[in-house]
Amino acid sequence: MKLFDALTKVDRRIIYIILLVVVTLPLIFPSAQSVRVMPPVEKFFNAVDSIPPDKALIVDFDYTPQDMPELEPMGIAILRHAFKKRIKVLAVSLYVQPLGLAVRALQQVTEEFNSVATSNADSIIYGRDYVFLGWQVGPVNAMLTMGESIARFYPVDYYGNRTDTLPLMREIKNYRNVGLVTSLSPSDIPKYWVAYAQNRFGVRVSSGITSVSASEFYPYLQTGQFSGMLVGMKGAAEYEEIVEQNLNVKGRRKASESLPSLTYAHLLIIAFIVIGNVGYFLSRRHK
Amino acid sequence: MQRTFPLVLVFVFGILGILPFIIPHPVVQNTNDFLLNVFLKILLAFALVLGLGSLLKVHMDKIKRKRENWQYSWVLIGTFIVTSIIGLFGGVDGSGILPTHIGSFSFDIWTIYNNVEVPLGATMFALLAFFMASAAYRAFRARSFEATLLLISAFIVMIGVLPLGNRISPYIPSFAQWIMDVPNVAGQRGIQFGVALGAMATALKIILGIERSWLGGGGS
Amino acid sequence: MNISLDPWVWIAALLTLAIFSFLYRDNPFYRFAEHMFVGVANGWAVTFYWHNVLMPTLFDPLFRQGQLLLILPFIAGMLYFTRFIPRVSWLVRIPIGISMGYYVGASIPATIQANIIKQAQGTILTTHNFQAWHAGSMGIVWSVILFVGVLCTLSYFYFSREHKGVLGLTSRVGIVFVMIGFGAAFGYTVIARISLLIGRLQFLLGPWLGIIE
Repeated sequence: MKLFDALTKVDRRIIYIILLVVVTLPLIFPSAQSVRVMPPVEKFFNAVDSIPPDKALIVDFDYTPQDMPELEPMGIAILRHAFKKRIKVLAVSLYVQPLGLAVRALQQVTEEFNSVATSNADSIIYGRDYVFLGWQVGPVNAMLTMGESIARFYPVDYYGNRTDTLPLMREIKNYRNVGLVTSLSPSDIPKYWVAYAQNRFGVRVSSGITSVSASEFYPYLQTGQFSGMLVGMKGAAEYEEIVEQNLNVKGRRKASESLPSLTYAHLLIIAFIVIGNVGYFLSRRHK
Repeated sequence: MQRTFPLVLVFVFGILGILPFIIPHPVVQNTNDFLLNVFLKILLAFALVLGLGSLLKVHMDKIKRKRENWQYSWVLIGTFIVTSIIGLFGGVDGSGILPTHIGSFSFDIWTIYNNVEVPLGATMFALLAFFMASAAYRAFRARSFEATLLLISAFIVMIGVLPLGNRISPYIPSFAQWIMDVPNVAGQRGIQFGVALGAMATALKIILGIERSWLGGGGS
Repeated sequence: MNISLDPWVWIAALLTLAIFSFLYRDNPFYRFAEHMFVGVANGWAVTFYWHNVLMPTLFDPLFRQGQLLLILPFIAGMLYFTRFIPRVSWLVRIPIGISMGYYVGASIPATIQANIIKQAQGTILTTHNFQAWHAGSMGIVWSVILFVGVLCTLSYFYFSREHKGVLGLTSRVGIVFVMIGFGAAFGYTVIARISLLIGRLQFLLGPWLGIIE
């Protein structure tokens, strides 16, 4: 009894140190863990894979530094998928903070592909294979205006080029030329895409979300309003797995590398809860 | 006048927000286009400027009145001014009138974003992992039937999501997926129906001028 | 170990450690870093609001190209600043009313369609919903459980009558569904928080200390 009483009074800084050690060691001594791909991720993959050649994929980069570990690996895996299948990509950011991270992801994947390309046709060329439209103020404004004209809301792209002069944008005018919108966001933005873009203009929407939002987004997956969903770091790892398995696209799999740390940290949290509750019940019975 | 005119504006622009969804006529659509791409864009940009102005005013007041930790307000104001100058005059791509590198040492807006804002923002939220671990140890108790149900559901999902769960048994991740697909959807949908109906009711009350708390105090 | 020599990586690492120092206790390094974050984030926002919005959408067309219609949004935007002048602070209600009115209006049909009608369609017992599970005949069972769960959850939040009798029973069933949902949410929240910590440790151990790739 005294033992459990003592355990419940442990300084919180000791708990922090234990957590830090448990999370750090698997990063220093990595081990491979197999990933089972679940149905929401398969649906997401199929939704991207089935985009016709004359349509584009809109990737909405809406994650901030706070959500980067969960959502950036998703963005990178999606870009690898799209570039491998030569799906045209339009990248946007609906808020100003994610802009830098969008550029990072696009640059990283473009360099990965161009470092092994042997010809112009193999390479990923800006303006031909993808366009980064950047940011303009007003997320709802963007969603509603792009249904009529993408170039109207984004007259210049992120780099200052007139949008209507870019080769890709000559074919992609509005949602009728878009096969799927995928929103990587820690907030309710994917629901806004459904409410404003899908309801009004009929475009398909899929989402990459943080684990915190998973519970409230599943109803949209069940109704088919989302054509697939990636949830958190695990969802990112599953997508990295399915892209590598199906398309033989090799690249650093940051989410998959984090799975051992995630596993041991989870077991630690479960142990904490069990120890805390055992102590609680024993001390209650003692009283 | 001070309260009536804004209420009239809310009503008029509320109707202008609804109409494009139901009337495809070019007059309605063109008006909507002007609102979305010009008028409201500019208003939203000014709203940010207002927000910034309020933030700076709060911190200047703190400095003036020497409130607790007033010295850090200088840090906020100083870094804001420096970053703004670098961004506004150095340009988004570093090609503005202000030079943003000394030799090979660059201090353009991108470098500041990647090496200051990203690590600071990311680490702020990383702290939550520690707080959650501490809370799990000290506070998460199965004090009632409902709390026990919550913890059991959490354990199943936590183990089901991990590759370890699949190694123990492939039924564990399938069961966790079922929990997310069926009972979780049922509970969340019930809650979200209520939220959606409440949001709609509030939206209608705002447009019709029944809900006036946004006007604040004062005025007639 | 291959410690970085890039000064910016060191700056990023020291700022990271300054934030982590809060775990020991509140201290000047943490406060410094916290205030710096707010300052830099707002400076970043100002940059893009000016270059991407205010300059190309307002000042350039209005003052250089002479599009006088833009006087209207310009004046409406300037009214935001009357908030700081007590005598005329009521004028701030005008731009607030305009933007809030439009977005609130636009949200009504969107909310009805996405959050009410479609969600109700997903709940009712139809062949389409049975087959959507891709679970054969079990699809019917899952759909019935979902249907019952949604109704029971709604009955739990019905507070106009005392929860007795049939309503008491359905609300008890409803709370079971809600608790399972919250438990699932908590489980996923644990994943989210640990992921964020892993991300920072990967930076400290990788680009800074060079211990991992």
